[in-house]
Amino acid sequence: MTDIARLSVPLTLWLISFSGLYGLHGLVCSGHWTRLAGSGAEVAGQTALIAGFLAALLVQAVAVAVLWTQRFGGPPGFVRTTSLALALVALVATLWTLGPSVALPACAWPSATVAG
Amino acid sequence: MTDPKPARRAEALRLHRKLLPIWSSDQRFRGWLTTNNNNDIGGLFLIVATIFFVIGGILAMLIRAQLASPGSAFMGPEAYNQVFTMHGTVMMFLFAIPFFEAMAVLLLPGMLGTRDLAYPRLGAYGLWVYIFGGSAVIIAMLLGLSPDGGWFMYPPLSSSAFSPGIGPDVWLLGITSIEVSAIAAAVEVVVTVLRYRAAGMSLARMPIFAWYILVVAVMILTAFPPMILGSLLLEVERAFGWPFFQTENGGDALLWQHLFWLFGHPEVYIIFLPAAGMIATILPVMARTRLLGYAWVVAAVVALALLSFGLWVHHMFTTGIPHMGLAFFSAASTLVAVPTAVMIFSWIGTLWQGKPRLELPMLWILGFFATFVIGGLTGVMLAIVPFNWQVHDTHFVVAHLHYVLIGGYVFPMIAAVYYFLPLLTGHSRFFKLGEIAFWITVPAFHLTFLAMHWAGILGQRRRTWTYDAGSGWEWINLTASIGAFAMAIGFALVIGDVVVNTLVARKARRNPWGAGTLEWATMLPSPVYGLASIPVIAGRYPLDDDPQLALRIARGEGFLADTSRNRRETLIVSTTGGEPAQVAVLPGNSVLPFILAVVTSTSFLAPLVGAYLLSGAALIGVVVVALIWAWGLGSKADEGPVDAGRGVTLPLSTEVPDPPGWWGSLMLLLADSVHFGSLLFGYAFLWTVAPNWPPPSYLAPGAVDAVLAGAGAVALLAGPRWAARSILKGAGPWPGLVLAVLGAVALAGAATGIILARPDPAGHAYDATLWLLAGHVGLHVAITAIMLGYLTARVLAGYTSPRRIGDARIVQLWADFTALTGLVALAAAWLPGVFG
Ligand code: HEM
Ligand SMILES: [Cu+2]
Repeated sequence: MTDIARLSVPLTLWLISFSGLYGLHGLVCSGHWTRLAGSGAEVAGQTALIAGFLAALLVQAVAVAVLWTQRFGGPPGFVRTTSLALALVALVATLWTLGPSVALPACAWPSATVAG
Repeated sequence: MTDPKPARRAEALRLHRKLLPIWSSDQRFRGWLTTNNNNDIGGLFLIVATIFFVIGGILAMLIRAQLASPGSAFMGPEAYNQVFTMHGTVMMFLFAIPFFEAMAVLLLPGMLGTRDLAYPRLGAYGLWVYIFGGSAVIIAMLLGLSPDGGWFMYPPLSSSAFSPGIGPDVWLLGITSIEVSAIAAAVEVVVTVLRYRAAGMSLARMPIFAWYILVVAVMILTAFPPMILGSLLLEVERAFGWPFFQTENGGDALLWQHLFWLFGHPEVYIIFLPAAGMIATILPVMARTRLLGYAWVVAAVVALALLSFGLWVHHMFTTGIPHMGLAFFSAASTLVAVPTAVMIFSWIGTLWQGKPRLELPMLWILGFFATFVIGGLTGVMLAIVPFNWQVHDTHFVVAHLHYVLIGGYVFPMIAAVYYFLPLLTGHSRFFKLGEIAFWITVPAFHLTFLAMHWAGILGQRRRTWTYDAGSGWEWINLTASIGAFAMAIGFALVIGDVVVNTLVARKARRNPWGAGTLEWATMLPSPVYGLASIPVIAGRYPLDDDPQLALRIARGEGFLADTSRNRRETLIVSTTGGEPAQVAVLPGNSVLPFILAVVTSTSFLAPLVGAYLLSGAALIGVVVVALIWAWGLGSKADEGPVDAGRGVTLPLSTEVPDPPGWWGSLMLLLADSVHFGSLLFGYAFLWTVAPNWPPPSYLAPGAVDAVLAGAGAVALLAGPRWAARSILKGAGPWPGLVLAVLGAVALAGAATGIILARPDPAGHAYDATLWLLAGHVGLHVAITAIMLGYLTARVLAGYTSPRRIGDARIVQLWADFTALTGLVALAAAWLPGVFG
């Protein structure tokens, strides 16, 4: 079962941070957030999203580092290679899919859908 | 000197004769209802799934007949809506998923080098639930009562206000019961792949299909629960008015879309991956080589599976989502192309390095390539937002989705049927109808659906019963309809060809394709017991490594060739390395799965005719039958380690701390966790975005509630542990069991407090959610309480001992889940009240 965990944990962590950040984004763009954060809500929201993004990156980097060690990554062979490859995939996936949190304003809606 | 060869052959025959009576199903009529052998179950599954494919196909022909000419009077809108909804529903839920499950049930034990799946009776149960649920859906259609809101059933169209009939209920209850069957099959597949394999089959030596189907089964366990929750919410809303999707009362129709697509997007891969696994299995054999980049393909499958859970919102791009949310999901959607590409390149590379031969399975795989690539390209077109807005909900989308579904699923599955025909029937193809069928089906397919793209671009909307003359679509539609009827003839020929070659054809010789994997090590057709003994393997292609292996297996040179214990036994190995670990004793023929399926289906389907009382009674029946079922397993005396052959002694799977039932429970609880997680997601979603929130008031917990919850959870965690430890020490488990019961009662008390404080679940979505959270706690407390009672009876009857600790450990697992999720559920219910 340890081997199954080695193979599945890194991308599961990606899924958790991806859903988590999407959830945070929903919260940041809701009325609750303005009530909570007051006048600085917009800046606070953007900061929170960027912080979440960086934390997710850190988690994935740690996963790669841990799987690199002999102790947690296991002996050389199929599982070690495959799980390391998947951990790198998870790191790239985090960078690629959550990157927009740095690049875009948190709560801008496309004009076409605001009207509808 | 005598020639040793006939002597050895006689030995194989003797073993065969001994194994047959142990594994055979009842030859009388009742054998149909009592068999749980994977050959029988898989075969029935396959036949029933094919029947549903034919039904779905007939509905497709009705659609095309209607659309062949403008203003057609063949069907009115009411009928047309039912027909396309049922076509989509039947094809997706009653054909596509069960069909690959059938293939897995038939083939997996042989591929893994074991004799049967981990839970033969569960397999039988899943089959019958599927047959009953599917038949109910079809009968409702024949009575004109089918759903008509499209296969994804969006509310508010499917809410009682706009669909007052029972159509949506047929869908919600019927499809949910079939999902229960799929979850049963998934639990079985996961545990089988992880634990039931040939000796020496480490993870790295598993046949590639085992990886694909393992991943798919885990996806079923994690993708179906959100859908089951969505169906539950919608059904409860329709039946009792709990307003989960009604905006006026704090609900939100978009919640359905989230829950549906949390399931629906992974579903696309759940359908595609088994077909891909078949291609990865068949293609190398057809190319007389080995799969290129095994490890890369495994990594791609795992990556694809997990990434596919982060895409669901791309089905909701037009629902008003901020730029950043759109960007998250666009980015994730582009990313999944990478693992798919890895697979495709592996296949192309395999073809490249091999010497392909153009047998019929290969022909269908080429058909797959030609079709799937086009479907992939139109998929990329659809991912481009402005183009998407242009063709959204037109026949362009219909054309695209059939390129992927038929090209990416049906064609490879036909290849698989032909490839495995000798294994399943013992016959090699004699009548060459198959080639003709291929050359009719594939061109006709392209005629039909290529044409449909243009209709879509010109603006013909999907799910629309007719169009006007002079729209410029007449010729396109007529072409598509002619193509569709030709394609139907092609598919009919394929089915006819398979049937004829099954019934009469020449006998196949062993391993006719020269494959290297273990499923081909048996005589043909594969006998009921599968392998005469469990082999020891040292590579990914054992039949290539040792050409004599099949004969060795037949002569009983592997594990468990000794039949003197006169029961169905197979090997359990360690997950990673495949070292022999336990001897599993599989149950024999039984009618219990059939009976349990009858009561389960009754409890699901009775509400359709308003028979809630009957449904409740059937639910009690489910509990009773399940208890009888469980009671019949296990034994009253320790047997100790047994001789597994080859000089190895192993413990029985009933005399270890982690028996198969424990593993199965773990997998079931994985699905249950996702279900619970979806419930919390729904709650958080409503709290964050539903327009009519906050509710008039929040519920705040009293001190008594909090104490009941905390103490109850602790007692429920500690009690079963204590009891299990006592049994292990040979002492009486009573103090632990009493503590556990007290814990269950306390948790139930806390949940009841919520219900009493908020008596009107139909008032606001918040109250409805509270009832659901309390219901989650109540249901699991009830399950745990029943299990505790069962364990008590088992202890009293002498079914437990320090060796036979499995029952107690299974109860402990369920109690842990109940305590932990119970605590979270109650905390979630009280949280808004505490903070504001
Ligand atoms: C046998 C050949 C088939 C033909 C001629 C065909 C034809 C059609 C047509 C014309 C529609 C659109 C109806 C409309 O929107 O007005 C449709 C919808 C659909 N088809 Fe097929 N189909 C075939 C096979 C399949 C298969 C094998 C699958 C799945 C494995 C499938 C899944 C679907 C789904 C999911 C829909 C959408 C239903 C909805 O809009 O709710 N079809 N089909
Ligand atoms: Cu999707």
